[in-house]
Amino acid sequence: MAEAPAGSDGPAESRRLHFHGSGGSLFGIHIVNIFLTLLTLGVYYFWGKVRVRRYLLSESDFEGDRFAFHGTGRELLVGWLRALLVFGVPVAILANGPELVGAAPAVQAGAIVLVYAIVLVFFPVAMVGARRYRLSRSSWREIRFSFRGRALDFIRLYVVGWLASALTLGVYYPFFAVRRHAFMVSHSYFGNERFRFDGRGEDVFAIYGLGVLVWALGAGAAFLVALLVAFLLALVVRLPASAVVGLVLGLGGALALMATAAAWAWFESRRQRYFWGHTRFAGTRFRSTVAAPPLLRLTLVNLALLLGTLGLAWPWVTVRRLRFAFEYLALEGTPDLAGTQQEAQVVTATGEGLAGFLDAGFDLG
Amino acid sequence: MRGDVAVPTTWEGHYLDGRSATRQRATIRVMRTGLEATVEGGGTLFWPYREVRQTQGFYAGEQVRLERGGELPEALLVADPAFLVDLRRAAPELGGRFHDPAGRRLRVELTLLAGLAVVAITGALYLWGIPAFAGWVAGRVPVAWEERLGEAVVAELAPPAKRCEDSERARVIGEIAAALTRPMPDFPYRVRVLVVDEPAVNAFALPGGYVVVLRGLIEHTHSAEELAGVLAHELQHVRGRHPTRTLLQHASTALLVAAVTGDVSGALAYGAEGARVLALLRYSRVLEEEADREGTRMLVAAGIDPRGLVGFFESLQKEEGDVPAVLQYLSTHPAPKERIARLRALVARSGAPPAPRLLPDYDWRDLARICPGSSPSPPSGGRRAG
Repeated sequence: MAEAPAGSDGPAESRRLHFHGSGGSLFGIHIVNIFLTLLTLGVYYFWGKVRVRRYLLSESDFEGDRFAFHGTGRELLVGWLRALLVFGVPVAILANGPELVGAAPAVQAGAIVLVYAIVLVFFPVAMVGARRYRLSRSSWREIRFSFRGRALDFIRLYVVGWLASALTLGVYYPFFAVRRHAFMVSHSYFGNERFRFDGRGEDVFAIYGLGVLVWALGAGAAFLVALLVAFLLALVVRLPASAVVGLVLGLGGALALMATAAAWAWFESRRQRYFWGHTRFAGTRFRSTVAAPPLLRLTLVNLALLLGTLGLAWPWVTVRRLRFAFEYLALEGTPDLAGTQQEAQVVTATGEGLAGFLDAGFDLG
Repeated sequence: MRGDVAVPTTWEGHYLDGRSATRQRATIRVMRTGLEATVEGGGTLFWPYREVRQTQGFYAGEQVRLERGGELPEALLVADPAFLVDLRRAAPELGGRFHDPAGRRLRVELTLLAGLAVVAITGALYLWGIPAFAGWVAGRVPVAWEERLGEAVVAELAPPAKRCEDSERARVIGEIAAALTRPMPDFPYRVRVLVVDEPAVNAFALPGGYVVVLRGLIEHTHSAEELAGVLAHELQHVRGRHPTRTLLQHASTALLVAAVTGDVSGALAYGAEGARVLALLRYSRVLEEEADREGTRMLVAAGIDPRGLVGFFESLQKEEGDVPAVLQYLSTHPAPKERIARLRALVARSGAPPAPRLLPDYDWRDLARICPGSSPSPPSGGRRAG
């Protein structure tokens, strides 16, 4: 399992992405979005989302050129309406209808099963549709990205993956994650240049397994420490039994929470390094140098910012996350784009028939 | 120097042909009707301003991107924003639609204004707009819909297994409720009072005419007048459609939260709380005062002594420190001191003649036996009604 050591400097010719935007500018956009959304009783919401996306992409550059976003608010609105009509309304009817009508318990149970089935199918359709839409509306040097995976293939992959993961009590899940990622990456294109993914399920399984182990050890150690502290304290001070139990649970719980956060950061950084490290593009390979401590610090500070400002600080949180992502990501070498041609895929917001609907690009906003 | 001789300045930039990913260096001259670009690979372009749109370059440090074409356009890129100033000066009418970097200061000011407007609009909506909207819509919801909603909720809040269905004592409560609604033949709902075997002191109204009374509350009443007062208050919540209004208010506020934070999940969290709110029935003080006022009127119209309600709150307040169950009721029906004072004033103003005792032959302590296994005597520290 080849893995780049964390934090090392890349070779001299590694290429990075850069983010030039600021939280303040994004907040300004956000304020105007809220104002116009209130004024239009919500309709402007979709145009506001497009403005944010356009800003974030326009402030990101690679090799001195900025990315660009070409979507429109109308497309998001249409996509949302379609999702509502095709999924939202039937699910709402099935979930509440039988009870309202007073149908037999068997019919009610059947309706619930149908709801779960529809939701299970909706997620892969939405994931594929969103990716297809967003890539088709993104460009660099006026060359459009595209996603060419078929929804039916992904639905099959997704449903089988979930069922297998459930049946194996989660053991299959890492393999499912790899297959999902492989599907998404290997059907993504820049112009006529394809992205490739060569990660393997076994490697990712090891990462997940180690992650669970680290977490269990951490949580166990946390409670052991709490027990030790309580024991030592009980030697010195006479405490009632309930206070001792409370101390163990409280201190142990708090330490276990910290251990969980640390284990998550450790796992997530390894996962990201693996997934990026096995993604190839135009003769080069991506390399992620993300490490657990900075990732943990970023996540905790972002959480504190959001909670402390009741969510209003999200423009700064978004900018921090993008800057962080770009800082720890690089392309090893210069991608060979001499032969890259424009090969934009026609992606309409409306489709004809079920296949057309499934493979049309739509985003929920 | 710009004077009579209009020498077009040149700018260094890049050209993208929209077909390949390589960018070519270009020298761009700002002319009166368009841009002239000489591309390093050979060739010269002329782009009339009318066919050009600007898609980037609105923020500090952002390269200026001018596009020409349809869905997959060509582009000219210039890093220096002074290029825009030059363009606007060289072609005042045609170039006026391009971004003016000098206007960025105005943009900041307008954004601040928008921010103030947002605060003002949000405040106005929350304090006035949403309650008014909820009241208007609630008045137009069909009674049948409310009844169905009430039935669904009552199954959760008063599960059949916990209901006290002693028919003799339930009839006593029914008589009180009937006495209250008799003077109002156009009361739009079928009143159904349910008693639930829970020790908490609480009672609440649900959409469609259901009133749920907890055993704890019955145990804390000392006379029929006191229970009649509580029932009158709850029935006025029903009549004013307060449960439905509160639900609508919560849903609208959830949407407002989503609009302001730009986050739908925030709305979901708020919406989930709406279900809890109905169970706890945390009405606004406005609705509580309305229920008190109209409830007093209802008691007087039915010939029942309205001082019973005041007496009930007074005895609850006395027990506040002793019996934790009492806190439940007080947390959902806030500010007892002011409330008692206000109720006293309402009663005094009602000018009601002293009313005959309601159910004078009934031993009130007997009602507490409506639930199996409950203690019939009032808890210690309570006042006995004369």
